[in-house]
Amino acid sequence: MKGMNINMELYRLTAAELSRMIRNKEVSSTEVTKSVFSRIKAKENEIEAYVTLNEEGALKKAAEVDEKIARGETLSSLAGIPVGIKDNICTKGLRTTCSSKMLSNFVPPYNATVINKLEAADFVCTGKLNMDEFAMGSSTETSFFKKTKNPFDTSRVPGGSSGGSAASVACGEAIVSLGSDTGGSIRQPASFCGVVGMKPTYGSVSRFGLVAFASSLDQIGPFGRCVEDVAMLTSVICGKDPMDTTSVRREYPRFEDHLSTDVKGLRIGIPEVYFGKGVTEEVRQSVMKAAHQYEAMGAVLVPVELPQPDYALAAYYIIACAEASSNLARFDGVKYGYRSPNFTSLEDLYENTRSEGFGEEVKRRIMLGTYVLSSGYYDAYYKKAKFTQNLMQDMFRKAFTQADVILCPTAPDTAFKFGENSDDQVKMYMNDILTVTVNIVGLPAISIPCGFDSKGMPVGCQLIGDKFSEQLLLNTAFAYEKAVGGFDLSRTLA
Amino acid sequence: MDMDIKRLAKLAKLKFTPEEEEKYAAQMASIVAMVEKLPDLDASGPLIDPDNPMEFRKDEVAQNYRRDELIANAPEVQAGCIVVPKTVAEE
Amino acid sequence: MIVGLEVHCELNTKTKIYCSCRNSFGAEVNSQCCSVCMGMPGTLPTLNEKVVDYAVKMGYALNCSINPVSKQDRKNYFYPDLPKAYQISQFDIPLCENGHLDILVDGKEKRIGITRIHIEEDAGKLIHDESFAGTLVDFNRCGVPLIEIVSEPDLRSSAEAKAYLDTIREIVIYLGISDGKMQEGSIRCDINVSVHKPGEPFGTRVEMKNVNTFSGAVRAIEYEAARQIEVLENGGTISQETRRWDDLKGCNFLLRSKEDAQDYRYFPEPDLSTIVLDEEHLAELKASIPELPNKKVVRYMQTLSIPEEDARLLVESVEKAAYFEEIIAAGKIVPKDAANWVLGAVSRVINETGKSIAEIGVSAEKMAKLIEMLEKKEISSSAGSTVFEEMLHSDKTPADIVAEKGLAQVSDQDVLQQIVDQVAAANQKSIDDYRGGKTNALGFLVGQCMKASKGKGNPAIMREMLLKILEQN
Repeated sequence: MKGMNINMELYRLTAAELSRMIRNKEVSSTEVTKSVFSRIKAKENEIEAYVTLNEEGALKKAAEVDEKIARGETLSSLAGIPVGIKDNICTKGLRTTCSSKMLSNFVPPYNATVINKLEAADFVCTGKLNMDEFAMGSSTETSFFKKTKNPFDTSRVPGGSSGGSAASVACGEAIVSLGSDTGGSIRQPASFCGVVGMKPTYGSVSRFGLVAFASSLDQIGPFGRCVEDVAMLTSVICGKDPMDTTSVRREYPRFEDHLSTDVKGLRIGIPEVYFGKGVTEEVRQSVMKAAHQYEAMGAVLVPVELPQPDYALAAYYIIACAEASSNLARFDGVKYGYRSPNFTSLEDLYENTRSEGFGEEVKRRIMLGTYVLSSGYYDAYYKKAKFTQNLMQDMFRKAFTQADVILCPTAPDTAFKFGENSDDQVKMYMNDILTVTVNIVGLPAISIPCGFDSKGMPVGCQLIGDKFSEQLLLNTAFAYEKAVGGFDLSRTLA
Repeated sequence: MDMDIKRLAKLAKLKFTPEEEEKYAAQMASIVAMVEKLPDLDASGPLIDPDNPMEFRKDEVAQNYRRDELIANAPEVQAGCIVVPKTVAEE
Repeated sequence: MIVGLEVHCELNTKTKIYCSCRNSFGAEVNSQCCSVCMGMPGTLPTLNEKVVDYAVKMGYALNCSINPVSKQDRKNYFYPDLPKAYQISQFDIPLCENGHLDILVDGKEKRIGITRIHIEEDAGKLIHDESFAGTLVDFNRCGVPLIEIVSEPDLRSSAEAKAYLDTIREIVIYLGISDGKMQEGSIRCDINVSVHKPGEPFGTRVEMKNVNTFSGAVRAIEYEAARQIEVLENGGTISQETRRWDDLKGCNFLLRSKEDAQDYRYFPEPDLSTIVLDEEHLAELKASIPELPNKKVVRYMQTLSIPEEDARLLVESVEKAAYFEEIIAAGKIVPKDAANWVLGAVSRVINETGKSIAEIGVSAEKMAKLIEMLEKKEISSSAGSTVFEEMLHSDKTPADIVAEKGLAQVSDQDVLQQIVDQVAAANQKSIDDYRGGKTNALGFLVGQCMKASKGKGNPAIMREMLLKILEQN
């Protein structure tokens, strides 16, 4: 099994397959890691998924894992698997930029809790993945460093904000990856790049060390090329963290051990409003085809009523920007990060640092957040948005008495071209219209590929579950994956 | 919409040229029109969620950092302190 | 004059409010910090349970109602001593509300309303040095836990404000929640002052910041009231503004007017879930509140007949008050005598040696015994001092020491009469002097009797006996 050709193609395999092979000593972690880095060398010029590569560290870690295996140690299923990390998740000693000029030289002296968990599982860190600046965007175009390309069509965006996380997994520059999802930032790029991405229930994954965009909405989650990989990664990162008071203490199973394809009698809710305005016919058809596939497997489709997407989008932008305006205030040129060389007073230092260090989209959202919190506007915007959030939670509670899982498109359309939406913010924000609701109500949701449109771009189907129903979501996704014979990434992995 | 871009920029510690100010004003107007689509509801009463009680931290010391690690990212350091332009006395 | 106070008091928990860094004063710059209190990206706060307990205790001490469900909020503003550019505080639902505090002014109790008590984090320290063009930032104090106690505008003079501050300080020390050291900035306050003519509505209030000592508070209040009166008398008006007190110059100056009022954009802190306190825990905290110093002073005065001055001196120290109460509980003695010993000999030893009362090793029981012997005139006061000195150096009981050293005061009539007769026989001249009008001869004769009894004779009895002889004929 140690032929050159096989090694060169190890990057094409899933984490589940590689995990078995590494532990059966069919391949070494070093071979897998080298394969992924040779793939990176071949594709990175074109795709530009990474902000920072960690080749030396990755090979060192892979060698360590190989030694442990040689010594006969029992290792976690993720041991020796190359994982890419979104660049807003702090990695001790490895630059963490949030794709912003503001943090272009920031090296954290601490790990995010998810990184500590991955380290305990002996993962191999390939590097830090490109994103929209501070996770604000839906196309990864707002990155200060580079524009990541969609591996299906490099004239198109990979989605965002976790564009690097999705693109790297789709094209073999990482086996699996971590992203973060505040309003769809895992699910929408997963949908655009034809991979699986899950946003776990708010509170199931620690946010400690995730550079905050909107604290009450942010959640770290996994990307993979198959459901089992996503399940494996989710199992490692879930859990109560004493460092994050918003994380929830409960039992989190090893999801990959309980995967099942049985959907008989499963009630799948179809929210009509999420197939309506703005959703293209091709997307609608692909997603409904997936729904009928479930029906054919014994599930029952039931109509459910969900909050108006307009309400959700409004509440989302108010809450997210309000929190962001406060979370990003700490970037002031004093303690870390960029400091403008042009200042004579403290006020100058603040204003010039922040004006030069932040990109336009970030500044726009800081301004909006400042506005909705400012004296005289707080009640009309922020407070009202928070009450809308309660209203939406009630609607979902009711929906989940009628359905076990809700199915709808992940995004209204497939990946768009670079620059297509960059001049019209509202049009850009509409990309999030089907995903933000889930963040507002704190639910888990997964995006799985459900075919391609006529341009050959992948379509994503979103499955939304009740709080802490990750196992059911993964099982439902797994059933579809098995029924359609796996997700087709032959073009991007070639 | 009565948005005072100058005042907001001051609060957010951002600085815009007059052209940028104009551009931001226009963009913000359309974004605000979008976020005004909230349902009519009663938004009185406090924002508090009694269903999510917090686990408190025990009062036990854990010292995990050296000073040099913590100030390694600082733009200007002197005598173990971070340096900023002279502040006018306040509080 | 109308005065309201916002007192910030640093709590003496082991760790900071939102991280596990040591909460200590005077450490090397930036040595008591971590990624959380330095506000590094991605870090999150975790609330110290002791901070909540301490604030609730203060709430009970100040007769507040406690909100069993409360939350924390962000107060947003930029300053180099505030690393996150927001302070985590409490806005609309503080831990404690609607209380009151009785203060003692000119021997009378006055009730001051307490609006609220909330928890928040302290900011860092800015170091200005003449030799250096910039400002240095030390983050050690970032995240030190504070309670802010806001009073109603119920104070009417600087003396009342001083009494209020002293009482607050004594209470936090009594509760053991703060060391109350003003020189270390453990207690600071902002002052609201307005003036008005009797019968007219309250005037516009002016806020003063940067008041770091209680004597400074008195000066600041008097200065500001005088300033406002002068402005009004010259036909001017007072505008709602914030002024900064400069204690060295003894004056204040404008910090910001109402128009420049900061817009703090408060909103609920999304990184911390809700503070929920169960009834049982609240009951435990309530039960743990000791008798408070302001109430103790009044009780000492009214039921133990201790003069106000002495009562205050005793109560000022938790240890002295406790010792005093143990002594009067241990024996049937006059409280004033116990107070005199605690404030006299005991305090002198503490001051001279720097030891605590526990360390000097004289139990309340022994002290009570000693005082009892004195009150029963079993020993003389000079013997009492000897016994006390001896107790400092040995474990012996007062009775043992008295017996060992033969200090028992002789009250036996026959023995004393014999001594008195002998002295009278040997000093006929003094007797004549007395009878001739030189009454101070009596003192000399008593002295002679004491000398003859080797200091053990009861001087009062011997005096009576001498008088009987002198008044004969």
